[in-house]
Amino acid sequence: MPHHPTAYRDPKLPSDRVLPGDESWTEMLKAFDAPAANALIAFARTICPHDGLGDGPYRRTVAKLDDVAQANPEKAALLAELVQRIDGAMPLPFVELSEAFRVEILKDIEGSAAFSMAQRTVVLFLYDDLEVWQAFGYEGASVQHGGFVNRGFNDLDWLPEPPEGV
Amino acid sequence: MTQFSLDDDTVTVVVGSGAGGGTIAHELARRDISVVLLEAGRHMTADDFVNDEMAAYDMLSWLDKRDASGSWRVAKDHPDVPVWHCKGVGGTTLHWSGCCYRLTEDEMRARSVFGDIPGTTLIDWPITLEELEPWYDKAEKKMGVTRTNGLPPLPPNNNFKVMYAGAKALGYDSVSTGRHAINAVPYDGRPASQQDGFTICGDKVGARWSTQNVEIPKALATGKLDLRPESRAVYVEHDETGRASAVLYVDSEGVTHRQKARTVVLAGNCVETSRLLLHSTSARFPNGLANGWGHVGRHYLRHVVQTVWSVFDKPVYMHRGEIMAGYLDEFATHDPSRGFAGGYYVELNSMGLPSMAGLLEPGWWGRDFAQVVEQYANIAGLFMSGEDMPQADNRITLTDRSDAFGVPVANIHYSNHPNDVLMRNHGYKTMRAIHAAAGAKRSIETPPYPATHNLGSNRMAARAEDGVLDGNGRAHEVDNLFIADGSNFATGGAVNPTLTIVALAMRQAAFIEGQMAAGAL
Ligand SMILES: Cc1cc2nc3c(=O)[nH]c(=O)nc-3n(C[C@H](O)[C@H](O)[C@H](O)COP(=O)(O)OP(=O)(O)OC[C@H]3O[C@@H](n4cnc5c(N)ncnc54)[C@H](O)[C@@H]3O)c2cc1C
Repeated sequence: MPHHPTAYRDPKLPSDRVLPGDESWTEMLKAFDAPAANALIAFARTICPHDGLGDGPYRRTVAKLDDVAQANPEKAALLAELVQRIDGAMPLPFVELSEAFRVEILKDIEGSAAFSMAQRTVVLFLYDDLEVWQAFGYEGASVQHGGFVNRGFNDLDWLPEPPEGV
Repeated sequence: MTQFSLDDDTVTVVVGSGAGGGTIAHELARRDISVVLLEAGRHMTADDFVNDEMAAYDMLSWLDKRDASGSWRVAKDHPDVPVWHCKGVGGTTLHWSGCCYRLTEDEMRARSVFGDIPGTTLIDWPITLEELEPWYDKAEKKMGVTRTNGLPPLPPNNNFKVMYAGAKALGYDSVSTGRHAINAVPYDGRPASQQDGFTICGDKVGARWSTQNVEIPKALATGKLDLRPESRAVYVEHDETGRASAVLYVDSEGVTHRQKARTVVLAGNCVETSRLLLHSTSARFPNGLANGWGHVGRHYLRHVVQTVWSVFDKPVYMHRGEIMAGYLDEFATHDPSRGFAGGYYVELNSMGLPSMAGLLEPGWWGRDFAQVVEQYANIAGLFMSGEDMPQADNRITLTDRSDAFGVPVANIHYSNHPNDVLMRNHGYKTMRAIHAAAGAKRSIETPPYPATHNLGSNRMAARAEDGVLDGNGRAHEVDNLFIADGSNFATGGAVNPTLTIVALAMRQAAFIEGQMAAGAL
């Protein structure tokens, strides 16, 4: 992936959470057991497949889904339904399937409330992650560095420079 | 802190502290008129604001549930939040990105200029551009609008350079960074923009005009403003003569109060002002206050608003700098040869990764989606704002569910008029062409997101049978009731509405002062 400037979270906000690097990360989850968590990771990787990203952002996304499920019984039920449907669709659990099979399953349930809630929530959480910002070149909070006025707000140099006062 | 008593019936009660309400509260207070300003949201300041799209959205937005219906795509993609505005002292001027453009003479005579378009409820404004012009001058001065009063323009940022190159290549010579209530140099005690890219998250730096950082502090300094945050107006009462006499509101403890009033000004943003009127029923006004003719909530407008994102070979980093600092007006005039009535403006747009991904094409997923999002650094954005057609059934109504304050939840019904569809199509093609001429590899036509330009649902009209308000924003049926938010627009025009909301509120304050001095109010 290309090299981008450093991304920052606003210093007033909590940093993105740090999860254990190994399989034990699922132990901190309250709403999902390990198989459900792994199915949701595979779901998030199918919805938003970024081969260059490690598991960290996807795990944080599922940890946030776990918060949602704990706080909101209606959404918890939809997420449980999603896991059940994607895991039950083929003779193998969702995580074991190749991408083509995973996509086929998701296409089948695209119209469901469970899919649509989960899809939108994954998009919301995954792209609100500092590691993802860094990877894709979104620098995040800037006011603590004086904005971009002296940090490249007008440094694009592959097109002609507009005239003064345009 | 100035405090007026609940029984003081000499005060003017203003509901809502955004562009319209915050401005008129200041304009009245500085004329020595006592004002009680009821604001549903909290009083936040620069210290509270954060440079973070999602956290700021949660902090500033009006998140009470609403319903949506109609054929607009928003009803499908954002059924609970069909309109996007703020809750907090400052209203949606906490969010706004500062574009400040005037209506044109043609737009203020929409019915005469566009003619009789089937399915529309077009009218002419009850006031002319000439009458409004002096107030535009005053509003631009108040807000420190760039390129007016000798103030310099905002400098070109990266995203603008892309727009500029494409527009110039196509011969759109009007392209410029536009006019904004954002300081390019220090003005009125506020600093110049740091180009931090977070203007819509409250603006920690204060380079952008808002009622939170300009009008309300100045109004408080007059000693004539009693600001009551976390105070939700729930009902407007009238006396036996039919004049508005008090506003009922619920405070942060859940206690209901009755604030007596000499004059009432509503400025809760379209949906809330219409909802409040519709809910304020009485024997005299069985369909809601000032709604004898049935226009409250109708003719709701939200502009033909679109975004196009395009992917380039090289980095843009569109998040750096003021987000809407780009403008062209080649398509702004009414030109029937284009096949539709009314005009649109092309402006700059940028978003951070979280918002761009979420709004790109709700429901889109998989390799293709991910591949576009991944190229965030190389994406540039354009925006259009165009005139949508007023239709009687595009309207705000009450549902049979109540909110936590006992007021029925609003439904927002909107279907596109064929004219809106033709304009949107034209705009998409224009925006794509601009980016293509600058070398875009691919463009994504993003569907409309929750409405940010909410207008027209309590419109001004020369005759009571055509609209709720007269040309001074006063209810035809209740002569001490005014509306100062964007719902008072007779038609929507094409441009971002806030400069006009502010100019109208300033004009309305002068009118109220005159009426009071003449003993008529
Ligand atoms: C992201 C974004 C960007 C924008 N950018 C631009 C731009 O560049 N240029 C432009 O011209 N416009 C822009 N706008 C639109 C602009 O912000 C609005 O048009 C303008 O603020 C509307 O003013 P208003 O007075 O109608 O309502 P608001 O400014 O929304 O104020 C309404 C206030 O009333 C309060 N309220 C509502 N109901 C009650 C109640 N019952 N009791 C008490 N208080 C109540 C609300 O909490 C709110 O604070 C933007 C909007 C958004 C969301």
